[in-house]
Amino acid sequence: MGLDIRLPLGLIFLVLGGIMTVYGFFTRHSAIYGRSLDVNLNLGWGLILFLFGLVMYLVGRRQKWQDDPVNPRPWERKESAPRP
Amino acid sequence: MTLSIIDWLIMLVYFVFVLGIGFALKRYMRTSNDFFLAGRSIPAWVCGLAFISANLGAQEVIGMGASGAKYGINTSHFYWIGAIPAMIFVGIFMMPFYYGSKARSVPEYLRMRFDEKTRAVNAFSFAIMTVLSSGISMYAMALLIQTLGLFRGIIPEHYIFHVSVFLSAIIVLAYIFLGGLTSAIYNEVLQFFLIVAGFAPLVWIGLRNVGGWQGIKHTLPASMTHSWRGMAHANTNTLGVEWIGLSMGLGFVLSFGYWCTDFLVIQRAMAADSEVSARRVPLIAAIPKMFFPFLVILPGLIAVSISSKVVTPEQKVLYGAQSAGVRATAPSAAAASSTNTSTALDDSHPHGIVPQKTNPLNGQPVLDSKGEPVYNYDLAIPVLLLHYFPTGILGLGLTALLASFMSGMAGNVTAFNTVWTYDIYQAYINKKATDAHYLWMGRMATVGGILLSIAAAYAATSFNNIMDALQLVFSFVNAPLFATFLLGMFWKRTTGHAAFTGLLSGTAAALLHHGLTIPADTAPGIHGGWITIVHHYPSDMAQNFWTAIFAFSVNLVVTIAVSLITKPREDQELVGLVYSLTPKPVDHHLNWYQKPSTLAFAVLAMLIVLNLVFA
Repeated sequence: MGLDIRLPLGLIFLVLGGIMTVYGFFTRHSAIYGRSLDVNLNLGWGLILFLFGLVMYLVGRRQKWQDDPVNPRPWERKESAPRP
Repeated sequence: MTLSIIDWLIMLVYFVFVLGIGFALKRYMRTSNDFFLAGRSIPAWVCGLAFISANLGAQEVIGMGASGAKYGINTSHFYWIGAIPAMIFVGIFMMPFYYGSKARSVPEYLRMRFDEKTRAVNAFSFAIMTVLSSGISMYAMALLIQTLGLFRGIIPEHYIFHVSVFLSAIIVLAYIFLGGLTSAIYNEVLQFFLIVAGFAPLVWIGLRNVGGWQGIKHTLPASMTHSWRGMAHANTNTLGVEWIGLSMGLGFVLSFGYWCTDFLVIQRAMAADSEVSARRVPLIAAIPKMFFPFLVILPGLIAVSISSKVVTPEQKVLYGAQSAGVRATAPSAAAASSTNTSTALDDSHPHGIVPQKTNPLNGQPVLDSKGEPVYNYDLAIPVLLLHYFPTGILGLGLTALLASFMSGMAGNVTAFNTVWTYDIYQAYINKKATDAHYLWMGRMATVGGILLSIAAAYAATSFNNIMDALQLVFSFVNAPLFATFLLGMFWKRTTGHAAFTGLLSGTAAALLHHGLTIPADTAPGIHGGWITIVHHYPSDMAQNFWTAIFAFSVNLVVTIAVSLITKPREDQELVGLVYSLTPKPVDHHLNWYQKPSTLAFAVLAMLIVLNLVFA
């Protein structure tokens, strides 16, 4: 409907992934990762989310939703009678 | 618990996007069709994700985690038996009628197929249920925020609950008021991905910590890690129900009753851009639904498998916190994790990091009838989040949790405003107004719906058992519903009088069954047996499932009987509304992989594989 959902979807993950990646980068080797078994979740998962956001956003920019020319909506079919 | 600036920033970003989408879509809301049905222009995959996200409210995330922690992997039955078959059925067989009839809502379909009084029964009961559901979501979210201490230090303690309720209400009101169903759908897709983003790393790190699925099987009793073991008899499995009650009660009546008739989810399929799309929507939704047990049930199992004795400062907060308990309700498959009855199996499994329930008045642990402490399983997932997530990703996890609550609320509000405007206001109050007037009415109904939800949320604070009571009411109303739709869509002889009497007698039968039976170890009252006790069930769940079976059967019999003695409508009036009188959907122009039936078979195959792996 005018706005392709992949645009805001991509954008939010670009932003969130970006925030997490940057934060994860600045806090690497910090004690806060003791509880997550010394895995830098912010950096790792942040990067993955950022990439997901990027893919979504780019796909959203390139593609447009096509109307399905073969299956007209029910009320567009000439032979169906209008409903009461 | 104190959150850092990063966590708050992440939450803020989410709320900015949620409102931003509403503002961005405002200009496309030109007609009531745009507002209530998204102009019927949304692609199938978007509708599919919204379909599943609208259903995934607080009840799923918190409740399934709690059930997983308490009962084990057989909670997956709520997904694999209790949802997927129904979703396949509604997509393949029922969507052509919902979409093709051009009905703008499920009650409107009933009016087209039967008559006004049947529509009225469905419209009024549904409108009330959505408002109550939304209120419960609001209440549960505010309670969780209060228990977790999210705003501690920022807002005085006794205001936290109220601020949470009003803040969530205003945000949901804003984005639906502006962008209608489209806004709700877009936000639901966002929320879906956020929930995956928030919970997938949690499951990953949790599994690493407890030694994977093998480690869990090693730590927990076998009854908790095998979904079909012990299902021959009610007393050999943790759910307390045998496989017949499970498959007929949950798998058939309750699940079909919800997925095939509840306008909350059907509305998202009706927004699709073509009939083929609409048929695909529930099937597309079935795929993530099948894998959701790994995101919501597994954390519950992980939480009880953790055997480390280290208690983090946050957990100390929760152990001592006022926890009246975040109750889970599902309007559909009841996740009855009532934490004040413990089964015999409850004591013999580890409790991991799940905190005990404490009496808010004296801070002492709540004890059950055997003197054992009762565990607050509803906190399983929040506690797990706090246990593993460092700041940064913690903000994401909490945002995912909040997102799930809000998608539940928004879904209910959009369903309410549509049913109110078309099936109550336009049908009975003001039949001849302009479309612009109905669009205005839809916006007012959104405001009204939110206000009523707030009232319901506050009512829940005063009445201890309101969640249980509402769960009951939902099952009484939902259980017989499917029989009416089944007969209406597949038997042209069904008449309006029959549908009406069938619906009412089905609900009455459910009430009667509940009044005459009681689960083991409970007192008469909210659990049943308030007329007299004729039969004992091994558990709440068993009683629930058999109530559903009973209600469905009574509705079926009564509807058939009354149909045979009343006059049906002419065949030509029912074209497009009944299976035998509607041309089969046109899909021979599609390649084999594009046909909805191919998708359905693929989903079924995956379902069987999953059941076999975790049997």
